[in-house]
Amino acid sequence: MSNSLKLTNVSKSFGEAKIIKNLNLDIKKNERHAIIGPNGAGKSTLFHLISGHYKLTSGKITLNGDVINNLEPHQINRKGLARSFQVTNIFPKMSVYENIRCGILWSLDFKYSIIKLVNKNKELNKKTNVILQEVNLQHCAHLPAGLLSYADQRALEIGITIAGGADTLMLDEPTAGMSNSETERAVNLIKQISENRTLVVVEHDMGVVFDLADRISVLVYGEIIATDTPNNIRKNKAVQAAYLGTEEH
Amino acid sequence: MLNILKPFSTWIIIAAIAAALPLIFESSFALTLLSKMGVLIIFTVAYNMLLGQGGMLSFGHAIYFGLAGYASIHILNGIGEETLPYFPTVLFPLIGAIVGLFFGSIVGYVSTRRAGTAFAMISLGFCEMVTAMTLIFVIFFNGEDGIQTDRMVGPEPFGVSFGPQIEVYYLILFWVLLTVALMYIITKTPFGRMSNAVRDNPERAAFIGYSVRRVRWQAFALSSMFAGAAGSLHAINYEHIGFESVSVVQSGAVLFMAFIGGAGHFLGPIIGAIGLTYLDSTLADITEAWLLYLGLTFSGIVMFAPGGLAGLIVMHGPIARTNKNLLFSLIKPYLLAIGSVITGLLGLIGIIEMLYFRSLISKGEGEIIIFWTEFNANGILSWLIFIGLILLGIFLSKRTFPVAKESWDNAISVVKTEISNE
Repeated sequence: MSNSLKLTNVSKSFGEAKIIKNLNLDIKKNERHAIIGPNGAGKSTLFHLISGHYKLTSGKITLNGDVINNLEPHQINRKGLARSFQVTNIFPKMSVYENIRCGILWSLDFKYSIIKLVNKNKELNKKTNVILQEVNLQHCAHLPAGLLSYADQRALEIGITIAGGADTLMLDEPTAGMSNSETERAVNLIKQISENRTLVVVEHDMGVVFDLADRISVLVYGEIIATDTPNNIRKNKAVQAAYLGTEEH
Repeated sequence: MLNILKPFSTWIIIAAIAAALPLIFESSFALTLLSKMGVLIIFTVAYNMLLGQGGMLSFGHAIYFGLAGYASIHILNGIGEETLPYFPTVLFPLIGAIVGLFFGSIVGYVSTRRAGTAFAMISLGFCEMVTAMTLIFVIFFNGEDGIQTDRMVGPEPFGVSFGPQIEVYYLILFWVLLTVALMYIITKTPFGRMSNAVRDNPERAAFIGYSVRRVRWQAFALSSMFAGAAGSLHAINYEHIGFESVSVVQSGAVLFMAFIGGAGHFLGPIIGAIGLTYLDSTLADITEAWLLYLGLTFSGIVMFAPGGLAGLIVMHGPIARTNKNLLFSLIKPYLLAIGSVITGLLGLIGIIEMLYFRSLISKGEGEIIIFWTEFNANGILSWLIFIGLILLGIFLSKRTFPVAKESWDNAISVVKTEISNE
């Protein structure tokens, strides 16, 4: 299987503090890859580096073979990488429907057009409805997104993330703060949307991680100490010492 | 045929009413006022492409309005002196639009690199710079005097010379309808939607493939373009342009209109432009303290109704759609609350008028007419009456406002349950 996302010797420092240290990571095409690690390990920083939110101090990141670490976030997105955020990141004043529709615009080549009308485009609106159905939010399509429940907002954010048709998805703690039933719903949704896509997910809930992931990377203090299948990670002594042993899961 | 026109029925009705207005209000004062309103409607709706649609607070948008005005005046004069070829007056807003677009693209390219406070400060800086230039480059701007022109130049197609004010009114009306319709359509385009998206959450907008800076820049340039069209009409309307048209004062005025009318809704700026232009023309003659009242109104709106007048109207939309009776049940508590506020305001206005009168006008005399009644500004009784009104207003408001708010909350919760039951 070919690589989707490849990180080579990636480092990131904030002043004196080295948050990510010479990190190497290969994420295969169409695999579900979880990144776990204790608080402060650098998981969110790693996400920000890959998505272009932060610039690398050194190293190289490629997406489907193209170097992306020198690009702006919107350029990386256009290359087929979409992400969600740890804190819900939607357009709160716009309707749920419009949130999704905005997520689709670029992929249908609307660019910055001021001569096309969004309501009149059949393909755009059909696709919006398909995504709405996929994330199960048809019932509140015309409510302002800011009024949705937390779990629905997270689902909406996943909807926006997949709307542009990206082949690589990165989800940052998609089930954080959810009840058990909400988590179950979210995991099913993530499983379904990541069919035939590459998924990178940061998650604290070990139940979710072992249920979802094909492979797991363990990040501790800016370094990846192991990348393996869930079963092997469970058995890995270094991981147990650094992480699993110290927390209740 | 009629079915095709149906979606545009509101527009057609508004256009018809606007076209009939000069027949109802025949005085030249009314005609001048209506013309001014038209110009400012275009300018304010254009400004709101930045403020309301794009979330950019500019303190310097008069630059594009004013510079387009200067350019139009020079070209009118050039045609008049036959140094420039004839250009139809009807199409002058196109010149203004090009001038606005040109300067808006340049300044916007620099200022939209930043958002929030930095953007606002940059806009203020540019505005001060251009105002200073009007006083320095006298050859183009003619300093404090500004420039005069005569709009009756060239041939008169169909006998229309644009000499009489009524013809200028219809010229302005034509451009108001055209530009406002265009700006409305733009809100429905991919760019328009992404402009809202960038306003709501720039980070998210970047991660769905859009360059936030490019969206902001485009909004800035388009907004300046329409402001330029308004500037041309302003110049034709007054046959004069002065440094104040590019100044921070003019920029502030358009901000006031957009905000008081309601920046969050497309129609808000139109309400603001009509309302404030009317008050500006009428109240300025009645009271010296007009600017103080304007400032107080603005502060009041910022504090108590950040959605502006349009926001207050729109928040009743869901109630009106679900249950008309609920809406009627709100009338009584609202009237009581409004009555209380007016009581307090009457007192406040009385005090302000007497203070102004004593410090600026009276020269020792006491008689002053407030609300068609004679008061003695030197006597303690008048002061006691107005202070009493203020206290009564505050007292009543404290009782009626919670009731009004509760009625609204009740109505909204009823609407919510009705919607979720569907």
